[in-house]
Amino acid sequence: MKIVRILVASIACCGWLLGAAAEAPAQAVVKVGNILPLSGPSASVGLQNKQAQDMAVQEINDAGGIKSLGGAKIQMLYADSESKPEKGVAEAERFINTEKVHILTGAWNSAVSYPVSAVAERYQIPFLVPVSVADKITEQGFKYVFRIAAKDSWWTRDQFAFLKDLQAEFNAKVATLAFVYENGDWGKGFAEGWKKHAQAGGYKVVLDEPYPSTATDLSPVVQKIKRANPDVLLLTSNAADAILLTNTMAEYKVKPKAIVASGGGHADPSYLKAAGKNARYLFDIVEWETDVNKPGAKETNEKFKKLYGYNLTGESVDAYAAMYVLADALERAASTDPRAIRDALAKTRLTKGPAMIVGYDAIEFDESGQNKHAALVMVQVNDLGKGLERITVWPKASRRAGYKPVFPIP
Amino acid sequence: MIHLLEDTINGVLMGSIYGLAALGLTLIFGVLKVINFAHGSLLMVGMYAAYWAVLLTGVHPYLALVFVLPLMFAFGYLLQAVVIQPIFKAEREVREPITVIIVTTGVWYILDNLALLVFGPQYRNIQDNPLRGRMIEAGEMLISVPKLWGFCAAVATAALIWLFLQKTRMGRAVRATSLDRDAASLQGINPYKIYNIAFGLGTAVAGVAGVALVPFYNIFPTVGVLFDIKCFIIVVLGGLGSIGGALLGGMIIGVIESVGPQFMTATWTEAIVYGLFLGFLFLRPSGLFGVKYDW
Amino acid sequence: MNASTVTRQPASGRPVLLRWAPLLLLLAFAFALPLVVRSATYLHILILLLLYAYLTTSWNLVGGFAGVLPLGHAAFVGIGAYTSTVLSLQYGLSPWIGMILGGMISTIVGVLIGLPTFKMRGAYFALATIAFAEGLRVMVENLDRLGPFRLNGPRGLQIPPLEVGFGRLMFAEKEPYYYIILTMLVLAVGITWAVSRSKLGYCLAAGGEEPEAAQSLGINVARLKLIAMAISSFLTSLAGTFWAQFTLYIHPKSVMSLDISFEIAFIALIGGRGSIAGPLLGALLLRPVSDFSRIHFGDTLPGLHLVIFGVVLILVMLYQPRGLQEPLTRLYRRGMQRLFGTGEGG
Repeated sequence: MKIVRILVASIACCGWLLGAAAEAPAQAVVKVGNILPLSGPSASVGLQNKQAQDMAVQEINDAGGIKSLGGAKIQMLYADSESKPEKGVAEAERFINTEKVHILTGAWNSAVSYPVSAVAERYQIPFLVPVSVADKITEQGFKYVFRIAAKDSWWTRDQFAFLKDLQAEFNAKVATLAFVYENGDWGKGFAEGWKKHAQAGGYKVVLDEPYPSTATDLSPVVQKIKRANPDVLLLTSNAADAILLTNTMAEYKVKPKAIVASGGGHADPSYLKAAGKNARYLFDIVEWETDVNKPGAKETNEKFKKLYGYNLTGESVDAYAAMYVLADALERAASTDPRAIRDALAKTRLTKGPAMIVGYDAIEFDESGQNKHAALVMVQVNDLGKGLERITVWPKASRRAGYKPVFPIP
Repeated sequence: MIHLLEDTINGVLMGSIYGLAALGLTLIFGVLKVINFAHGSLLMVGMYAAYWAVLLTGVHPYLALVFVLPLMFAFGYLLQAVVIQPIFKAEREVREPITVIIVTTGVWYILDNLALLVFGPQYRNIQDNPLRGRMIEAGEMLISVPKLWGFCAAVATAALIWLFLQKTRMGRAVRATSLDRDAASLQGINPYKIYNIAFGLGTAVAGVAGVALVPFYNIFPTVGVLFDIKCFIIVVLGGLGSIGGALLGGMIIGVIESVGPQFMTATWTEAIVYGLFLGFLFLRPSGLFGVKYDW
Repeated sequence: MNASTVTRQPASGRPVLLRWAPLLLLLAFAFALPLVVRSATYLHILILLLLYAYLTTSWNLVGGFAGVLPLGHAAFVGIGAYTSTVLSLQYGLSPWIGMILGGMISTIVGVLIGLPTFKMRGAYFALATIAFAEGLRVMVENLDRLGPFRLNGPRGLQIPPLEVGFGRLMFAEKEPYYYIILTMLVLAVGITWAVSRSKLGYCLAAGGEEPEAAQSLGINVARLKLIAMAISSFLTSLAGTFWAQFTLYIHPKSVMSLDISFEIAFIALIGGRGSIAGPLLGALLLRPVSDFSRIHFGDTLPGLHLVIFGVVLILVMLYQPRGLQEPLTRLYRRGMQRLFGTGEGG
């Protein structure tokens, strides 16, 4: 008898699990499935993206939801990918088939975004990618993939454009470069771009060093930088290694003329806290900074900070804006049919509303689904008497009034 | 030449901290004959304990030891007594119960993710501590002060454990159990109590390593994983169960990691470490100081 | 080891068909399942369940019968996935052929790694296999190219979902994947069953428990273990190709990760290693626990699902250190006896 009871109990248990997953709310909603790394090594960024999107969705719903759909609310569903492609795919399948989401978003890790984009394409569900910068994501010929963030070739292009402007502004010469990057999809992508631009720009590359982002000690890498003695050091790091690298460089008194980072770990809110004054004078390329000269940006950041206790980052602004892009597309589509949403997304030209806290003037997708206006800004970490802050310095039009970048590092 | 020396010194210092982290693992293995896969997580717990002790009381980072040491010992003692011991009792005839490996892996998952749930995914470190970024300048060379203290802590801890095992009554009971559990219990030693003590000690040593790391290292929920595999390699290199071996093994790994990148990329050095480890395993499986009959 | 406890029933004069009936029923149930489960979500979860059951069954030949604990089988998954993917991306070779080639490479690698490691015992063997798999992963992460083959280092390889069809081992639907992995699983279970009843199986079991005694009886334990390793690595490697074709993207951190090696060992130990039913039972328990707890808690309480996973691991090991297979086999036997007792009487 015992086995029967166990069987019944386990079937009931499964039923509960399945049932709970399939529950559908009664009122009209637009379901958005969001796949993010919420546990594991990238949990920190996953959480930042989630919180930014939560805030945007809350605002959209409080303002009356999607009016063309009778005030339909946006319902966010989150899933944890643990940064693993196969888990991301499984969650995408579940979102599409069981939860019947109307749109997918997220992934953050390029390694998860690749296969998820293939799933979305197959089911013809739009996949709105706020941040996964690998070029390839929008270069697969897919019709259902849209990306808000700039792609990595634009990031490296702008880093070198900044270098050029910097030399002109300070009438200084940068001759040698060192590349130090995490040995992953992201770091490798950047390094490829750097090599190309360095060659074109006539720079001499004195160090080209990938390192494992699980390294426990980065002083050997720092020693290599020190001995290569580059004019400018280019970095691509995740948070833990960004902090370790910055602190170790300060210990070994490594001072190139400038350090140019690539967002990511260097833009993580815990980076400034953990690296402290060692991070001073660092240049970091990001998509958005708190001092951006856009109406509403300050208020939005204040609100976010009050809710979650830290500043918005470029990545979380992309995630935030993505929700408004979605709401705009839904208004125009006036339908929850994924194909109609896709067509509306493709015709997006968003120029006003809260999403316009981004550093450029419109969000518009090209044929590949890439946001063609996505632009980047260079910030410098400095202390102007109110503690360390990130100050926009480039392009010059966006530079914070009255600030003169510090170059070379004193 | 001076560079080579500088890298070697850094390697020895950092390596001795790896060795310190691995000491606990080798101690637990020596007595219980099982690999504790949760060891990295215990190190993580030790780091968080030290972090909070310093943050809440404002004491010197190394003084946190007063608080961390008993806490970690109790934690390890209880972990063994409550979670692991029942399995030993259930599998009394098996010399190296593999099930214990699975249980310690379960403990690893639980600890790492509880830390994520409780403390969140943020990266933390102690900002204003007197040791942060302190360097000794010896000519052209730079030597990290917290790493140097870590080295001293590693040597002192190893020496203390050795003295404990050699000179005290309890230590002799631990060694007896490690050599032959059944014979020891015939002599009136309660092996399970010895297991508890060994596990408690191993955990406390992980706590010491945590305290040594906290002044210059980041603290986050998955930090233990970074050290896990490294510790395994070190204990095998030094010989499972050997105290001096763990220290030396750690230094070897540290030196390779520190000197290697000057000749190749850091990512290849990682591969070299694994290659060396496998080679060692094939040629001298008992490790540097391992006892032949133990494998 | 109580190998093949499920099938090694005392015949006791029952008709052969009846003895096999429950197994055939189970098989029929498994094949009919996609007719009932229409949801692609659950089919996806089921496919992964079968995939892990298959991986664990393959692992079991070494980890179960040979009495050692390999913790590096992800290496073979990776070799399989990379071989077929590289060959199909660069030369248009059908993944089926790549699958077999990958299996052959894995067999060679498995034997080469087994030669020295099988002399080790317990902890050393486990650690050596971990180091081997991790070392291989780091190598691949460092190699953008290997000779003429493009591995693309840490960035991984993507399989464009262009040509669908059996020959390309790629489908728009889930059902074909389900039947392929189910067939692979049935074959692997069949091989395990055959091995467990063969001289190889008996000698392996003897060598796993008392290597010295077996050696003194003139059994070449090391050679037998190598044979088991060869079969095991070959079979494991096939799953790698399946994995690649199913997720359409591979990179070293996914197909060669320690997580896979560990999960295989967990499933085997939870189910009961060294038995044929063990891997199936383990996968039946652990995969749903891991999937459903992630689905339910992954969004609100990140990390909790892995805590639950850890708790389940510990609880099963505490109460059933030999795995679920033992008490379930007892129940099964009692049930069979009662069923057939009354059946024969009436």
